[in-house]
Amino acid sequence: MTSQPQIVQPPRIAVRLVNLFSSDEEAETIEGDLLEEYTHITSEHGATFARRWYWRQTAKTIVHLAGTAYRTAPWSTTSAIAGGFLLRRLAARFVEPAIFAVIDRYQIFVHHFSTYRFLASTGIDIGHILVFLFVGCVVALGAKGREMVATMMLGLIFGAMAVTAVLVMVSRSGDDAFVWRLTWYFADSFALVIGGAIVRTRRSVATARPAIA
Amino acid sequence: MSGRDYLGEFEHIIVLALLRLEDRAYGVTVRQEIEFRTHREVSIGAVYATLNRLETKGFVKSHCGDPTPERGGRSKRFFRATAKGVSAVNRTQRALHSMTEGLDLVRSYS
Repeated sequence: MTSQPQIVQPPRIAVRLVNLFSSDEEAETIEGDLLEEYTHITSEHGATFARRWYWRQTAKTIVHLAGTAYRTAPWSTTSAIAGGFLLRRLAARFVEPAIFAVIDRYQIFVHHFSTYRFLASTGIDIGHILVFLFVGCVVALGAKGREMVATMMLGLIFGAMAVTAVLVMVSRSGDDAFVWRLTWYFADSFALVIGGAIVRTRRSVATARPAIA
Repeated sequence: MSGRDYLGEFEHIIVLALLRLEDRAYGVTVRQEIEFRTHREVSIGAVYATLNRLETKGFVKSHCGDPTPERGGRSKRFFRATAKGVSAVNRTQRALHSMTEGLDLVRSYS
């Protein structure tokens, strides 16, 4: 009986990230190559060195995969990003009216004042995060094969807009409290990328599922 | 002759690595060969991005090998340079040689 080679499990998050950014065909080859080298490096230099190597490879690989994905279909990716930008502008208008409609409908202001305070402040922020999550899913559906690039680029655009807006507000008003709003704005951008990751994962699972005869 | 007939710097290095490795050329060996000979760290993503581009241009061809246990049951993708790819390497080499001919790079710029 021949002994099977000892396979060392690489960092799960890093494996997941490479999967999210690569096409289904590419993912198998790249994962296999990284695992083969990782196992070899672990036995030669130890687990800590190998983990660091794996993360470095992951970061550089993601940059290349994202660049390639955008360059292969720049117009359709840009269209999905532009569509997502407009959709977010449209959908964001309904967040506050929807929350206040719920408050009015159930008389929350009268019966549960603390709930009203939560919904009228944090609730609106959470509503915006859900809108961004929805937009992220729609953008990813439109940018098949480039889900992560499209949602990350849109997230960066919104992030940059938020930083600019906050800097302008702080410089005009002198009130540093606006800076704390950035955490919510960054959460919005993060929700976009999460939306992209959800759609990408669903598509990978659907492709990997064996056909039923 | 258009610019598409020449290879970029990394494309050139990749095709030369394929020619050196012959039938052993896949992601890991190509990456290691480049690191060993050029002493620069190369990511597997950069190797595949370039190989895919070269395949689209018809300079390389690929085929999948059998799944192996040391790769967790995943298969290797082997690459080889095509005749068109070898011509592109020669053309690029000649262009570089022609551009550097007569220049004393060590004395002039050290």
